[in-house]
Amino acid sequence: MDSLYLLIPIALLFCAIAIKLLLWAIDSGQYDDLDKEAWKILADDEPPRESADGQAPHNTSEEKQS
Amino acid sequence: MPPSSEPASRQAPKLCYHCGEEVPSGLELAILIGGEMRPMCCPGCRAVAGLISASGLETFYQQRTAYNERPPELPPANADQYLVYDDPQLAAGFSETGPDGAITARLLLGGISCAACTWLIEQTMMRLPGVSMALVNLQQSRLDIRFDPAQLPLSQVFARLDALGYRVRPFQASTQRLQMSREYRLELRRLAVAGLGMMQVGMFAIALHAGDIQGIEGQYQGLLRWVSLLVASFVVLFSARPFFSTAWRHLRQGALVMDLPVALAIGLAWLASAWATFTGTGQVYFDSVVMFTFFLLLGRFLERRARQRHNITWFDAQGTLPDAVSARRNEQWVTVPRVQLVAGDLVLIKAGDTVPVDALVATGASAVREDTFNGEPLPRRVTAGDTIYAGTVNVEAAVQASVLGSYLESRLAALQRSVEQAQTGKPRLARLADRVASWFVGAILLITTGTALVWSQLAPEQAFWIALSVLVISCPCALALATPAALTSAASALRASGVIVRGENALEALSRATHLIFDKTGTLTEGALAIARIELLGDASREQVLAVAAAMQQYSSHPVARAFSELEPAGGLQQVEYLVGAGLEAQRDGHTYRMGSEPFCRGQAPGLAHAPAEPLYWIALCRDSQPLAWIGLYDRTRPEAAAVVTAARQANMEVQLLTGDSSSQGSILARELGIEHVRSGLEPQQKMAHVQSLQQAGAVVAMVGDGLNDAPVLGVADASFAVASASDLARTQADFVLVDGDLHSITTTWRKARQGRRVIMQNLAWALAYNVCAIPLAACGLVPPWAAAIGMSLSSLLVVANSLRLNNRPRD
Repeated sequence: MDSLYLLIPIALLFCAIAIKLLLWAIDSGQYDDLDKEAWKILADDEPPRESADGQAPHNTSEEKQS
Repeated sequence: MPPSSEPASRQAPKLCYHCGEEVPSGLELAILIGGEMRPMCCPGCRAVAGLISASGLETFYQQRTAYNERPPELPPANADQYLVYDDPQLAAGFSETGPDGAITARLLLGGISCAACTWLIEQTMMRLPGVSMALVNLQQSRLDIRFDPAQLPLSQVFARLDALGYRVRPFQASTQRLQMSREYRLELRRLAVAGLGMMQVGMFAIALHAGDIQGIEGQYQGLLRWVSLLVASFVVLFSARPFFSTAWRHLRQGALVMDLPVALAIGLAWLASAWATFTGTGQVYFDSVVMFTFFLLLGRFLERRARQRHNITWFDAQGTLPDAVSARRNEQWVTVPRVQLVAGDLVLIKAGDTVPVDALVATGASAVREDTFNGEPLPRRVTAGDTIYAGTVNVEAAVQASVLGSYLESRLAALQRSVEQAQTGKPRLARLADRVASWFVGAILLITTGTALVWSQLAPEQAFWIALSVLVISCPCALALATPAALTSAASALRASGVIVRGENALEALSRATHLIFDKTGTLTEGALAIARIELLGDASREQVLAVAAAMQQYSSHPVARAFSELEPAGGLQQVEYLVGAGLEAQRDGHTYRMGSEPFCRGQAPGLAHAPAEPLYWIALCRDSQPLAWIGLYDRTRPEAAAVVTAARQANMEVQLLTGDSSSQGSILARELGIEHVRSGLEPQQKMAHVQSLQQAGAVVAMVGDGLNDAPVLGVADASFAVASASDLARTQADFVLVDGDLHSITTTWRKARQGRRVIMQNLAWALAYNVCAIPLAACGLVPPWAAAIGMSLSSLLVVANSLRLNNRPRD
């Protein structure tokens, strides 16, 4: 049971690191728009970016079946 | 319900695939999207949908969760107005140029209805040549875009967004917005710390509870308590700080609010546990302290997020004015930014344009639609010497006008100011929970002191611990959760049935509303003219009259013309002429037709009888010298209006009608719907004063409106509704926005609000009953710590479960 004296500080250290990371993420604006990011992961199959010559992009097969 | 991924309805009436409005009968505007012909309600929608589909972004329509806003007629036509933004001086206000020459601009977007819009905008912008970054912030309706100005002028960015059907203007970083985003991040930080802290302390607490049952060595118990103290202290000092500061702020003003018992509970439970840790006696409650903090913060964070999500930052009345104006400089017309206009400048206002500043008409005659100020769709005639106001729309012909002053001196600015005044002048109804809290706190402190006194006589060594256990057991978790849980639950139920709830506190006010006040035009009526009656005067049949009328009105931009737009027009019209302030004249099969005002038609057909006595908007039609018909137009009452009024009256609410229209239409409509109190011809400020005088007499007022002119009164009412077609300014002032434009939602909302009030009462009753039973037991020293912990959690759970009953779909 003496291992508690080692394990608990380690757990606290991990917790402190996690809090530090989370606060950094909040401050860097990653959580500023919770609505959009939640939706975005479902729409990751973005059509390829159009080249500058103004051509319409080719549709993926998923877009066509709708 | 918001439309699902496939919003097109199978049944009649056909709905526009883009904006979800009903497609006028007989209109065949359809467009191929995703392999199917989709119905469109107007050329504006078709243009936008065509653009989306042509850029290969049709998936947007599958992804979106709400219909788009209906764009103005034919959006791309007004692309020229954005050319002023190419002026670097003007652009500097909302953009910055990087070292590589790329410009980063911040733009405010109007009309973003769901998250899929952000995808559409980002994708479209990234496809423009020269754009290196496009990022939409949904919560602030803001687009950050970085592009190379050599390849793409800023005006093109504006024009492209406009063509997509979004309203766009520069994003001005106000201090209020900066403050809001700083607070948002701070709250999120507090929540994150409380959440992680809760997990840690919870883990140690399980070990401690297990130790209580199985037995635990003193040194390990001490260790677990000390680390719990460490983590909990951090959470209390950092995350729970707002509770302490709010409670203290109100206490200094002599007010007892709900935050005070919360702060007391957190503070005292923490102190007691810390004391127990130091002395190695008693019981620790660190897990309760941290959990309580976390859940209260979470509730507040969610409520705030819901509020901000619908807090359209588009609230500036000035934003409705055009930024680019044609002004006379050095004997020629040039486009100048509106802000550069000074008094005495001559400006040209074309038909269909919004008047940019208050001005005096110099030459030309036209009519201006002043629904901004009085809500009426029928325009006012103006000729040289008349004043026209910023924010009104010139409908008939181009006029030249001399500028009277800057925006700040305009009537529109005065309206905006009264809106701001309304926000600060809104009476604060004492919230139920706060009133309960004030005597609850008093009672708890009294009982605790009494307990301590009594026990100090009986058994002095136990007095401290028993008094503390009274305080801890009375921890008002359930009491603090009673109101927010019920309101959040009711709001989410309403959201699901098509009502956006912006201020949850308004639900409480609405449940006590004694007066329900309606605006007329656009709220109880549809706000557009329709044909009511046709009096035939000559040999032409009804069908012939309507066909000719419809054909002639195609050439007019007057609001009257809308009434005829769904009819099949006759062919063969020639030399159609629009005479400002009079009507239309056209040639057909060798005859001269006139349509318009009485004197205008009588000029050609002297035998024209007087218009029928009925209070409609009458226009005459004649062929050569023969009168053909009087056509009576009216603003159609919404079909469900009568039912909504009746339901409110049956629930003992006094229904009133306030209208800016000074004609007799208001009282006629009121009689038709059974409304007793009518006030006509009111300015926006007078409407506001009327509501304020009612409030001073003790009434709780709910107001329903739509226009810019309703914004001040919506701001000052205790609870306010904006209908679907409402102006942005009215939406920002309203507590509830009816998304689907069905007035029945008003009935649904106040019923839900009353149901919510009943649930709050039950919650409070339960929380108090629990405390009333538990405190005497604790005061007698009979409650073991584990029972106190379970009792606290159970009472909170019960309150939350009871509140969730509100989440059922509203019954009609």
